[in-house]
Order: sequence, then C-alpha cells, then structure tokens
Amino acid sequence: MPFERILVAIDGSDCSNRAYGTALELAALMSAKLTALAIEGPLPAYAATIGEVDEVKREKDEFFTGLATPACRQAADAGLEIDVEVRPGHPADLISRVATEGSYDLVVLGHRGHFVRDHLLGSTADRVAEHAPCPVMIVR
Amino acid sequence: MSDLAVAALLAGTILVASMISVEVGFSVALIELAAGFIVGNAFSLSIPGWLAFIGSFAGVVLTFLAGAEVDVPQFRREWRASIAIGLVSFSAPFVVVGLLAYYGLGWNHRQAEIAGIALSTTSLAVVYAVLVESGLNQTIIGKRIMSATFVTDLGTVTALTVLFVKPTIWILPFVVVSVALIVGLPKLAVPFFARYGNRVIEPEIKLVFASLFLLMWLGGRANSQAVLPAFILGLVMSQHYVQHRTEQERMRVVAFAFLTPFFFLKGGMNVSASALWGNLGILALLFLWKMLPKLAGVYPLARRYCAPHAAFTTLLMSTGLTFGTISSLYGLNAGIINRTQFSLLVAVVVLSAIVPTAIAQRFFQPHAERELVNDQRAVAPMPPAAAAAGRSTDGVEVV
Repeated sequence: MPFERILVAIDGSDCSNRAYGTALELAALMSAKLTALAIEGPLPAYAATIGEVDEVKREKDEFFTGLATPACRQAADAGLEIDVEVRPGHPADLISRVATEGSYDLVVLGHRGHFVRDHLLGSTADRVAEHAPCPVMIVR
Repeated sequence: MSDLAVAALLAGTILVASMISVEVGFSVALIELAAGFIVGNAFSLSIPGWLAFIGSFAGVVLTFLAGAEVDVPQFRREWRASIAIGLVSFSAPFVVVGLLAYYGLGWNHRQAEIAGIALSTTSLAVVYAVLVESGLNQTIIGKRIMSATFVTDLGTVTALTVLFVKPTIWILPFVVVSVALIVGLPKLAVPFFARYGNRVIEPEIKLVFASLFLLMWLGGRANSQAVLPAFILGLVMSQHYVQHRTEQERMRVVAFAFLTPFFFLKGGMNVSASALWGNLGILALLFLWKMLPKLAGVYPLARRYCAPHAAFTTLLMSTGLTFGTISSLYGLNAGIINRTQFSLLVAVVVLSAIVPTAIAQRFFQPHAERELVNDQRAVAPMPPAAAAAGRSTDGVEVV
C-alpha cells in the first residue's frame, strides 16, 4: 500500500525520536511527503491567573519550536524536506484531527508505556489507533 | 501550633501543591485551594494573623494583575457585544442568587449580596486557557468572549467596592488618591522605570506594591474596598506591561512564588468539610442558581453576537474562580458571612470553574482553523466592481 502523506508525532522523548526515525525511513522509501506534528499538550486546566497560562504556554512554545530545528536537520541528512507544525492541545484528539484534515495516509507515533496510566485511561497511541482515519504505526 | 510551625507546614504544602500541579496539569491555584482545605480540616488549623494579612494583600495583587492582563485595544474593538454579554453575565446571576439567598435561604441582605457577587463572576483565566489551548484566542468569537469576561469582572469589583461602603470622612482621600494613582502611575511609570527599572532590587515592583498598600489602607479607613481602584490601576498599566513584558513576568514571579499561594491556601483552609457535608442540598441549589441565570441571560445575546457558538460562549461565561474566591474571602474577613456560607460559596465557585468548562470543551468547542477562515471571509474586501457601485456582494447598500 503506497503512502503519499505521512504524519509523525514528535515530543522530544526517546520513543518519539524512534518513531521519527522510522517515519523518515518510510518517507524516503516511498517518496512520501512527511509532516512532523509537535504537540504542546494541554495548558493548566482551570487556571486562576492569565499569567500562569501565559508562562506555561511560553515555555511550551520555546521547547516545541526548538524541536523543529533538529527534526529538519535529521530530515535533510536523510535527503528529505519536511514540514513541522507546532500546536497546543490534547495529543490523541489533535493527532486524529490533523490526520483527518490533512488527508494523511499514515500516522506514525511512539509508545511511551506508562503501565498504570495506560491501564487506567488508555495510552495516546491506543486512542489514536481507535480514532485516526488512516493506518497507524506505533513504534515501541 | 506556633507561627513558625504553621509557616513551615504551609510552605511545605505550597511546595507539594506546585509539584502536583505540574504532574497532573491542573492549575496551581486549584490545587492550593484543595491543599488548604485538606490541611485546614486535617490539622484543625486556625488562620494566623500573618496569613490573613498576606492573603488580603495577595487578593488585591491578584485583582491588579487581572486588570493588567486585559487587552484594552481588543476591548475597544469589541465593546458593543462585550458590554451586552458581560453586563448580563454579571447582573443576571447577581440578582437571581441574591434574591434566592435572601428569600429562599434566609440570609440577610449583605450576605445575599456577597453570594450574588461571588457567584456572578466569570473567570478570565479559565476562559483564556480554553481559548489559547484551542487556538480560538485568535478568532473574533474568542476575542469577544475575552472582552465580555472583562466587563463581568469589572461589574464584580465595582459591586464589591460600592455595595459595602459605609463612607467615613476618609472616603475623600481614598477617592482622590485612587484617581491620582490611576491617572498618574502610567505617566510616572515611564521615567521611573527608565531610571530605576531592570535591577534585581526591583524598584518598579515596589512602586506598584506601595501604591496597592496605600489603596488598601485608605480603603480600610474609608470603610471601603481597594479592589475597584486596584483593578482599574492594573487596567491603565496594561499597555505599559505590553511594552515591558519582563517587568510583568517579574511581577508574576513575585506574586505566584510568595503571595497568591497563601491567598488560595487561606481560602481552602476556611472551607469546612462538615459544613459542606451537612449542606449538600444548599450547595446544589447555589450551583443551579449560578448556572441557570447565566445560561438564560447570556444565551440569547450569545446567539446574536457569537452565533453559531452560543452554547460554547454561554458555558465559558458561566465559569468562575479567582474573583469568586476574592469576593467570598472579603465577605468572611469583613464578618458579613459565616464559615458555613463561605464554604458553600467557594465550593460552588470551584465547581463552576470545572463543570461548564469541561462541558464546553467536550461538546461545544468550535474549530479554530475553521473560525479563522470564516473570520477572514467576514472581513475580506469586496470585489472592486461592487465597491465602485457602492454595494456589497449580497446587494446590500454600503453606507
């Protein structure tokens, strides 16, 4: 099955780096267009001051925008050009939504493996696999 | 327990609250309120004088910061819709809760007024977080909701200052100094901050704190409240802080690291578990009395100004947290409400931060990108031929 548009979720963690490496290999093999989605995660819920929200947003913006440079460099080393999108939001919802809106053929993401949280709430990977409109590759 | 023992216990609690906040992604204020509730009830702590003092000052600093965070140019652009939604959002629950507390619960008129004020608020920060997280802060609907929230908050601080004033001769210097600071501080800030700013000793923060303490002292002598002048002072300083973000950040650091934790802890410590447990029915009633007039009052206006997202707008306008807590604490400190009434009001305020927000995000959240596209269409220039003919594209005469 050829994949022409691949979406990969990145957050700077080891598992997401592994997923990104796999997505680069796939994109190179299939000459697919690759987009890296850096998801900032939710802001403090039920904040009492705008300052608290602003500070957290600023820190997240700096961190996740900073992920773009090494991601682009790694892609260039592999002979690829990629788009990087930085967005706030809940990871599972956002990955599925962006995949739908961008008509992606494949979503690639890592699996962190929090034993307790995964069993209680289900992992992000589980939820993306359930709701994404296209095949999902989970890299462990 | 000695003062130092209480201070050590509370400092540890504040530290743990901030760590939990980072881990679970909830605002630190909410965790501090909950921590204060647990510590206060578990250790049966009474509020020491120093905590009451710091808490009162922190409330005024929070009010100043809320004013300083208002986007004034945005409000000017959206004033018509904002004033309509914001005023109804304040007045509908204020009147309904006040009347029902007076006639239904038998509270006296001052207690009923505190209940009305505390439950009429809309949380600027809760709304802001939802809008920023969803990207809706860039859209017209998001800007309109933020501006309306500001109007509701202005209604709250005005009511808190005006309704409970028992004027003495000191009201005159209080008003004169308030006006002088509101007019003078933004002008003084430029040369003062240029000469003394950007130093680790922070003269600019000291200037603001000195102004707020002065307002608190004069307000107290006048049997009034410093929250209205503090809010407006923050408002007139907001443009200065837009140009000097570092100063605002430093002010926030001082406030969040030392002042506001004690404010929210104090709030939580005053909430009695037994009072809540014994009055669950009244708690449910108060929550309904806050929500129903908000929904009934704001929804028709939201349909007019924020269509097709009236439900989302209405639910966000029904949130509350900081000003609700400030109003309730004022009532408790002034001896207007008792601890049971305070516990009920703060519990409803916290519930109103969580329940409408969760429903709005889960079921009614608009799609930011789609809204931005719609906004661009709405403000897009008309084709040249139509413009030359003096008509819009749908044939409506252009004035």
